[in-house]
Amino acid sequence: MDCPIRTQENTDWLLEYSTGRLDRERAALMAQHVETCQECAHFVEGQQRVWNALSQWEVDPVAAGFDRRLYRAIEAQPVSWKDRLFRPLQPLWRPVVPLAAACLLIVVGVVLHAPQATVTTAPSQAAVEKNEAEQVERTLDDMQMLRELEMTPKQGENTSKSL
Amino acid sequence: MGASVALDCDAELMLRVKDGDGASFSLLLDKYRASVSHFLYRMVQDQSVSEELAQEVFLRVYKSRATYEATAKFTTWLYRIATHLALNWLRDEKNERAQERLDQGTEDAPAREVPDRAPSVEQQMVRAVKVEEVRRAVAALPNKQRAAVLMHKYEEMEYSQIAKVLSCSESAVKSLLFRAYETLRVRLAHMA
Repeated sequence: MDCPIRTQENTDWLLEYSTGRLDRERAALMAQHVETCQECAHFVEGQQRVWNALSQWEVDPVAAGFDRRLYRAIEAQPVSWKDRLFRPLQPLWRPVVPLAAACLLIVVGVVLHAPQATVTTAPSQAAVEKNEAEQVERTLDDMQMLRELEMTPKQGENTSKSL
Repeated sequence: MGASVALDCDAELMLRVKDGDGASFSLLLDKYRASVSHFLYRMVQDQSVSEELAQEVFLRVYKSRATYEATAKFTTWLYRIATHLALNWLRDEKNERAQERLDQGTEDAPAREVPDRAPSVEQQMVRAVKVEEVRRAVAALPNKQRAAVLMHKYEEMEYSQIAKVLSCSESAVKSLLFRAYETLRVRLAHMA
């Protein structure tokens, strides 16, 4: 492989190799290279020293009252009107929602498949039949009217002739 | 990343917090209280300030619960808040110190207080001196380099995640880390 220091490529491999976080395949490649490259070997040595030094920097544990202070700060936050309105209801409506959804499904099912559904269609069929009869009646009336209209000019012709 | 990312369990906990589950917030607090506080301490190197900032981080997490969207890893979001707060504080602190220096004329600003780690035996003294050197070396790094090193070393974050926290490219992170470690190698060269 090309030298990461000289090419400035894969410098992250070199860093990760120094800290032992590089995957096995790449680490093997890097190990081969470091054996022959003095510059990279020097880099790895220095980086390991830095890594170990950083590991020595331990920090004090978090103060005991941290959570208490945080929750006090949270409680002191102004509550929005939505929260004020709906938060007290949350424990009530949360378990009710799935129950209500199930009830709604049952009601829809009952409405769609109940025998009443066929009963409700019966009057509508009767209405259709009634409409058809009325239409036939109206057509017959129209035909009658046309016939009468055809008759009317003939009568006019006769009167003009007589004059 | 985007919405295609599988939800990590922390993001799921946060979505429960969004739904009003306080217990999930407690779980997240338990899990990340120490790491966020330590990260902030190493960033600002002041115990009381780091605690204030850590409080602010978790308060912001809680306050943002209603608008939270699990589009990235929870820790990326968490550390983005923490880093943002720390960098802002360091910027303001730098401005304040510059102002103090102007007010004091040629006098140097007083050295920042170091937590009292009074050793009882010689070995502990040597160790404390070493830690102090490391602390100073890290403190001397530019802020963004420092954040990158701390996330890389102590939070064991991958380059891609550090890039998301710092809102920069992965190659920029590689460059930041390479330069930061280069500086540290020089400063800590004498340490065995």
